[in-house]
Amino acid sequence: MTTPRFDLTGIPIVKKVLVSRWLQWSLTAITLPFFVLAILAGLFGTPAGNRNFGIVFVWIVWWAVLILLLVPFAGRLWCTMCPLPAPGEWLQRRALVQPRSAARLYTLGLKWPRRLRGIWLQNASFLLVALFSAVILTTPAVSALVLLLFVLIAVGTSLIFERRTFCRYLCPVGGFIGLYAQVAPVEIRVKNYDICVAHKEKTCYVGSNAGYGCPWLVFPAALDKNTYCGMCTECLKTCPMDNIGLFARPFAADLMAPKGRLDEAYKAFIMLTCAFIYSLVLLGPWASLKEAAYAVGSASWWLYAVGFLTANLIVTPGLFWLCTAAARRLGRAGQAARQAFIEHSYALIPLGLAAWAAFSLGFVFINLSYAWQVMSDPFGWGWNLFGSANWAWTPYLSGLVPLLQAIILLLGLAGAVSVVLHTARVHGVAYASTAPIIGFCAACTLVMMWLYM
Amino acid sequence: MRRELFALSVLFLLLVVFPLSLFGYQAWRTHAAGVRVIELTASAPDKGDWQPKDLRVQVSEKVRLRIKATDVIHGFVAPGLGLAVDEIAPGHVAEIEFVATQPGRYVFACSRWCSVDHWRMRGVIEVIDPTNPAPVPMSPSTPPLYQQLNIDLDAPHLAAAIPTTRPSAARGDALDIALPSDLHNASSLRRLAPADVFQRLRADPTYGALSDAELWDMVALAWLRVTLDGSLQRGRQLYGRDCAACHGQMGKGDGPAGRNLPGLAAMQAGAKSGPADFTDAGRMLGASDVLLQGKILRGGMGSGMPEWGSLYGETDMQDVIAYIRSFLFDLGPVN
Repeated sequence: MTTPRFDLTGIPIVKKVLVSRWLQWSLTAITLPFFVLAILAGLFGTPAGNRNFGIVFVWIVWWAVLILLLVPFAGRLWCTMCPLPAPGEWLQRRALVQPRSAARLYTLGLKWPRRLRGIWLQNASFLLVALFSAVILTTPAVSALVLLLFVLIAVGTSLIFERRTFCRYLCPVGGFIGLYAQVAPVEIRVKNYDICVAHKEKTCYVGSNAGYGCPWLVFPAALDKNTYCGMCTECLKTCPMDNIGLFARPFAADLMAPKGRLDEAYKAFIMLTCAFIYSLVLLGPWASLKEAAYAVGSASWWLYAVGFLTANLIVTPGLFWLCTAAARRLGRAGQAARQAFIEHSYALIPLGLAAWAAFSLGFVFINLSYAWQVMSDPFGWGWNLFGSANWAWTPYLSGLVPLLQAIILLLGLAGAVSVVLHTARVHGVAYASTAPIIGFCAACTLVMMWLYM
Repeated sequence: MRRELFALSVLFLLLVVFPLSLFGYQAWRTHAAGVRVIELTASAPDKGDWQPKDLRVQVSEKVRLRIKATDVIHGFVAPGLGLAVDEIAPGHVAEIEFVATQPGRYVFACSRWCSVDHWRMRGVIEVIDPTNPAPVPMSPSTPPLYQQLNIDLDAPHLAAAIPTTRPSAARGDALDIALPSDLHNASSLRRLAPADVFQRLRADPTYGALSDAELWDMVALAWLRVTLDGSLQRGRQLYGRDCAACHGQMGKGDGPAGRNLPGLAAMQAGAKSGPADFTDAGRMLGASDVLLQGKILRGGMGSGMPEWGSLYGETDMQDVIAYIRSFLFDLGPVN
């Protein structure tokens, strides 16, 4: 069955914008001053997180926009405008807008080691950041240094390795954006596969006078999910056959396609578990848990760290393994246990995205009013640029948030069930045999609801 | 090429001009203030304390203190200069201007219970006379009264007699019997412990017909008579701000900050005494106001109590002592 889709590049103005060489630079130029201000405020502003632009705009405003809007509705659009890899990429290209031939790039151009390909390193980098997140998310200086570290790693990677190796294999944020971008109702894909096959030059991958070869190391004709497409639109610029477009499509269309990578499965486990742990630590009433997460290096923190990693890497995957094993037994499926485990894990993608959205709703609207304060006084230096520095903290929609969280979690569960049943149908096993997996998803939803209600 | 130059120019604006303009604006704010601006940062003592702790200004110089709190709510008080900011929330900036008229060393302190070490959060504003820039000594030229009277602040001071009911100044007044004339004199009365006054009245045949309870009411009346108007109210405010955290709201020595006082453990290992219980009649009625003033002024007592001599003026001391007396004496309503 072919997924219905609508070619947005059929709209002339959309096409014109997407093929413009100014697009990515312009978007980055919009996000860059916010990023610069966040770094400066983090390093030189008040250590009080709720009065520091760096904390409020990065971890409340940006995060809300990312997880509630950009990822669910626009996939990897953030990666197009992300300022983190921009300096490295500009340095590598020695150009901001104009294309430059591969031979003149300022990089050693090494290929990323084959053994390190995949998103295992992104899983590890995310876990590392998540482990220290209680400190990173609340301490402006630490937050700024971590962001600067990302920029430095991205610059170093760009100078040594080809294209956007950092984004593709290392970025802790890019890893989960890619995973959840599969849910988004947009995609960049080829229009006609046969035209690509016949096109010998493969300018979309190697580049041309019109643009760079895919910075994300993806051959567009082989693209079957959003995970690794950074939506930079270089391929739309370099395709001489006008055979690549931006399409609108149903939500979660990628999850109905064949899949099966253990690193992506683990990303799904990690994200789901982290949403749960974040809810416990950052929003829950358990002060001792919060203190343990903050007290980096203390005995209680080590205990927390062991628990955190065990939950992410063993407990959640282990429980899910048991559920898929039970489902196999019930369905008498011939599918290998490992493959069933991996394939069904993709059901956790809508579930995890919903969990993150619900978790984010829990603090975003409560804390959003800090944004008006830090806009007027980004450093906490006593400025009042727009007259809003002393506006009182005001929680928004506090009565509505639990209802919204419940709706989102149920939508996530519906998406998960849909993926589970689709996978069962593909393998020709009875729907009833998927009960343990659906039970797992329902239990996760109920636990999250219990936490928020 | 022109496109690249344009893009590069915008980038230059974003990465160089924009950050410089932020810091430039802050520098301009300070410069354009027309006064000398001093940035003062308040953090709990174990997280940085006042930064800087020592400020130097000149007589007649207009100064603006820009005070930032970094961690929790702090307050700022410099009684010698008449400066006070009641609340500085984390990330907020409070500004206060002053012109010092007299050279000297003025202690400033945090006025909010910010941490267990709150009491040690002090600093000094040194006001220098430019025509005579020699540092001014901190200690006053005349020693405090407790030293002049050779009172040992650390000696036990148990009362020889204590009342069985709470003495009431109003009941004492209703007896319509005159007090000895010297007890109307504040400086005389403050050198006496209430129990001594009781004993003296007991020995005086003029009061022979009065019961012990009535005599204690007369003692309470004596203290009320030397208490200035508004003193109890001011004393209550100071007590609430500076004393209640350790000594407790009701003066029972059970304030949350008084538990596990760091000074107590360091100075008197194994000691059981914490902050003084102002409702303990045996100790309080055996102490004169001068003795209590000395304790407040000097601090110590092996309990980690801070000194208040550098922050409190004479009136502040009397106000606080009057209020402390009201835990045992009913001196009338305190509003």
